[in-house]
Amino acid sequence: MFRNTSSLIQPLVFFIIIALLFPFSLPAEGLLLQRIGGGVIWVSAVLATMLSLESMFHSDYQDGTLEQMLIHPRSLSLAMLGKALAHWTATGLILTLFSPLLCVTFNIPSEQIWVLFTGLLLGTPSLTLIGAIGAALTVTLRRGGVLIAIIILPLYIPILIFGAGMLTQVAQGLEVTSQLYALAAILALSITLAPFAIAGALRITIN
Amino acid sequence: MPNLKVISANNLSCVRGDNLLFEGVSFDVSEGQCLHVTGPNGCGKTSLLRLISGINQTETGCIKWQGANTNDNSLFLSECAYIAHKEGLKNELTAIENLRYYQQLDGINDELALDDTLAKLKILKCADLLAQQLSFGQRRRLSFARLLIAEFSLWVLDEPFTGIDTDGRELMESLCVNHLKSGGLIIMTHHQTLLDSPLNQYRSELQLGQA
Repeated sequence: MFRNTSSLIQPLVFFIIIALLFPFSLPAEGLLLQRIGGGVIWVSAVLATMLSLESMFHSDYQDGTLEQMLIHPRSLSLAMLGKALAHWTATGLILTLFSPLLCVTFNIPSEQIWVLFTGLLLGTPSLTLIGAIGAALTVTLRRGGVLIAIIILPLYIPILIFGAGMLTQVAQGLEVTSQLYALAAILALSITLAPFAIAGALRITIN
Repeated sequence: MPNLKVISANNLSCVRGDNLLFEGVSFDVSEGQCLHVTGPNGCGKTSLLRLISGINQTETGCIKWQGANTNDNSLFLSECAYIAHKEGLKNELTAIENLRYYQQLDGINDELALDDTLAKLKILKCADLLAQQLSFGQRRRLSFARLLIAEFSLWVLDEPFTGIDTDGRELMESLCVNHLKSGGLIIMTHHQTLLDSPLNQYRSELQLGQA
C-alpha cells in the first residue's frame, strides 16, 4: 500500500475536492455553510471511501494472491478483517485526520469539530468494513465500481444519519452520547460480522 | 502402511455456464506418483486443478486426502500447494519480500532458507528487484520457490513448464523428481508429452475431454 502512493493520496484529494466544491456552488449566506458543513464532510467521506473500495481486492485478484489466501489453512475471515483495517488506515483514518482542516474552511465552531472528528473516527471503519463486502461481491467484474455504489450506499445511510445527526444536535446544544453509542455499536457489529460476510462473498465470487 | 499419503477423487464433474466440461473423473495418486492431466485447450484441466486445490467446491463426487474429505480440511490445505498461471506475486514487493510473505503466512521465520531457495532456483541475484521488474520466466521461478519454503506433500502445478527456458525446465524437473523421491505427490497439467522427461517414470496420465 505504501509503495503505491497514488492509492494513498487519491481518496484524500477526492475527499477534499468534493467538500470544497460545495462552497463554490452554494449562495454565500453567512451561516449556511456553517450549518451544512458537517453533513457535506460526511457525504464526502462516504464518497471517498466508496472510491477507494474498488481497488481493495482488485490487484489481489489480478495477481492471484487472493486465490492463495482462499486455500490457505488460516482463517480467511481473520485475514479479511486485517485487510479491511489496513485499508482503513490508508483511507478512512487519513480522511478523519484531515477533516478538522476542512471544518475550518467551513467555519464550523470548534466544539462541533470534535464531534465530527470522533464521529468520523467511529464511522469510517464501519464504512470500510461494510463496503468491503460489496467490493468482494464485485471483484471479478471489470467495471464493478458502479455496482459497489448501488449495493453499498443504501447500507451507509444509518451511519450517515447518526454521524451527521450528531452535528445538528450539538449545534442545538443537545447531548450526542446516544449517537456516539449507536456509531460504536455499528462499528462493533461490523468488526465482528463483516469479515465473515467478506470471506463468504469471496468464496462465492471466485470460481 | 497406514500413513501412506493418498489423494483420491471420485466422480468429479465441472460445469462452466451451460457447458459440461467433464464428468465422472476419478483418480488416485499416492506417494511418489505424478498425475499428468492432459487434454485439448478448454477441456477443464485448470478447472480440475482448482477443484483439487480447494478454490472451487466440488459439485458432484468428492476428493479425499488420506480418507478425509478435502473440503475445509485445514490439514489438507496445509499440505497442498497450488501454483497457477497467476503467480500470486505482489508487484510492489521485491522477490525476496514476496517469498518472505508466504513463509510468514506459514508461520516460519527463516531468512537463510529464503536465500537458499532463491539460490536453488538461480534467481538469487534478483532477490532485491521488485517483482514487476522481473521477466516472465523469473516470475515463474519465483512462484515455484514457494513450493520449497514449507513442507508441502502435494504439489498442484498448472502448466509449470510454460515460459521458462530449457535450463529452468531441467531445474524444475529435477526439483519435481526430488519431491517425488522423498515421498511427495504431484498433480500437473502440461500440454506436451512428458515421455522424454525424467518425470516419465513416475507418471500416470489422465486424459480429459475425450467426448
